[in-house]
Amino acid sequence: MKASIATRLAVMFAVASLGVFSLVGFALRHVLQRELDRHQLSEVNTRLEYVSMTVNRHGTTEGWKVVRSKLDTLTPSDGSVRYWVLGPDPRFEYGDAPMVLRERLRTQADGPFEIELEGRVMRATVRSIAPKEQRPVVMLVTALDSARFRDTLDAFAGALVALCLAGAALVVLLGHRIAKVGLAPLSSLSQEAQSLSPRDLSQRLRLSPLPRELADLVSSFNGALDRVERAYAQLEGFNADVAHELRTPLANLIGQTQVALAKERTAPQLEEVLLSNLEELERLRAIVNDMLFLARADQGETAPNRVPASAAGEVSKTVEFLEALIEDAGVSVRVDGDAHASFERSLFRRAASNLLLNAVEHSERGAEIVVAIAQQASEVRIAVTNPGEPIPEQHLGRLFDRFYRVDGSRRNSRNNHGLGLSIVKAVAKMHGGTVFVTSTGGRNTVGFTLADVPPITAPHL
Amino acid sequence: MKLLIVEDEAKTAEYLHRGLNEQGYTVDVARTGPDGHALALLHDYDVIVLDVMLPEMDGFAVLRAIRMRKQTPVIMLTARDRIDDRVHGLREGADDYLVKPFSFLELVARLQAVTRRGRAQEPTQLRIGDLEIDLLSRKAYRAGSRLELTAKEFALLALLARREGQILSKTMIAEQVWDMNFDSHTNVVEVAIKRLRAKVDGPHERKLLHTIRGMGYVLEARGDEEAS
Repeated sequence: MKASIATRLAVMFAVASLGVFSLVGFALRHVLQRELDRHQLSEVNTRLEYVSMTVNRHGTTEGWKVVRSKLDTLTPSDGSVRYWVLGPDPRFEYGDAPMVLRERLRTQADGPFEIELEGRVMRATVRSIAPKEQRPVVMLVTALDSARFRDTLDAFAGALVALCLAGAALVVLLGHRIAKVGLAPLSSLSQEAQSLSPRDLSQRLRLSPLPRELADLVSSFNGALDRVERAYAQLEGFNADVAHELRTPLANLIGQTQVALAKERTAPQLEEVLLSNLEELERLRAIVNDMLFLARADQGETAPNRVPASAAGEVSKTVEFLEALIEDAGVSVRVDGDAHASFERSLFRRAASNLLLNAVEHSERGAEIVVAIAQQASEVRIAVTNPGEPIPEQHLGRLFDRFYRVDGSRRNSRNNHGLGLSIVKAVAKMHGGTVFVTSTGGRNTVGFTLADVPPITAPHL
Repeated sequence: MKLLIVEDEAKTAEYLHRGLNEQGYTVDVARTGPDGHALALLHDYDVIVLDVMLPEMDGFAVLRAIRMRKQTPVIMLTARDRIDDRVHGLREGADDYLVKPFSFLELVARLQAVTRRGRAQEPTQLRIGDLEIDLLSRKAYRAGSRLELTAKEFALLALLARREGQILSKTMIAEQVWDMNFDSHTNVVEVAIKRLRAKVDGPHERKLLHTIRGMGYVLEARGDEEAS
């Protein structure tokens, strides 16, 4: 299982805030460092300025004593500020300048520089003081131990890191809490979904108190529930229908056989029972075979033996097959148009035969049934139209359902167990097509389409 | 005709045995795959009826084993009618297959089709009682007078005449005459037979075209005791 959304959000907040804090902290530290540098520099310069006036004023060895004592006074005991005066005449020098400094001053021009002395990093500045009386040119160096500033910077950085981490942690906690609150509608939705019971399939999730983001999800979910409910209702009806269809012949078989065996019968009587049983059994076999066929189509089996053929040719062959029935019913059949496609002929004829039978059954004597075949963009369309009573709207959508009968009675059930049009639908499905039905102006049209599989090169067959 | 049935379901084996015996076949029955395999190799059968679902060794395995040694025609019986099952059986060397529940007539017809191969050419003239059929000129005469038949009616009559005395199921008739190889559940064949009967038997005392209720139709000149 993946981590909860709240946790994920909290972690993402933490990462984001840590990133932002670090960036800000880095920038702050940089600014502070620059300020501290400037500050150090100006302090060094101020001191140098002040001291250089004193040095400048005195040009005698006597006067130099004043300079020494003044510089002594100015030098704090912790050595954080140091002064050196260096020159060619040792009498006019001050402080024990280490070798490193002397070396450095040989090349160092007037101005600020940084140097490490006695293990301390010092910010220093140097100025040449013009000769006066006995004193030659001297170089005045003022140095400031930058440890103080560095310590400040380090303390600041440390505090910054700690604050960043604390801030991120706080964001995690708050983020988690916020996410929880924000996602509250989701958990209430989930509770509501849990309370849906399989016994009442008409239940739906409520849409009204939901934020927009969830409303879409809920309406999709409710749509799925709608479909499940419909499929379930259909399945329930289907089971009842199957049971009914199978129960009738089974009851006949059992009853007749029991009656026959109840007392002694003559051979012709027994033969009669057997013949009747055989009829019932054939009926059962037909239903079972059709149901297996439909089940295979449901499982997604497609027509395996497609060959290029002419739809009109196959329809004509089917009409020829049904000729006797068509004549007996006193109707005529006209085939309009043609299309070439790849399909399994026996399946196609089966579908066409079912459609024609359906049309013949629902036509008055003298009627003309029209089979219109059309080649459309990517499909072949076969529509069988017969004049007849309008089919009420509520039946249209269910006409292809198994065992569905418009009149509700079980008329004609010997030859037609209500699977004819479902088989048409299955055949269409096996060819990537679909079925359609319309009822307008006293003309009923039922038909199917087949996905056209190009290229078709076969001439008219 | 010597025939082997390999079928484990007792009732099925029993009725096939009896029915085919009555059709004039000499029938052996094996109840398991290995038994069937052994019998098939031991004797020379004209045809083998082989169930797919068998204990110990399934029908496909038996078929493979037989095919390594013999080319006896085999009709497979299967309860499943998935396409791949059929293809599988045919690829392994079966000559035909039948899906359960099948009609007994269907099986007999297929047995005849499988064993007919290689037989002498069929005659072009058929005579049943006073019905004469010329398959070449596609004309039929009853008691010397020409019958006016449509092409399909002639095809139907010719089919029944060629299988004189055999019961032909509606499914088979639809398949042979109209090339409709599916159960159409219609009474198309009944109606067509009725029309043919009107033309063939109509005015005549002696009926040739008979309905066997629940099974199909047969064309034969029956004895007087039945005709009366």
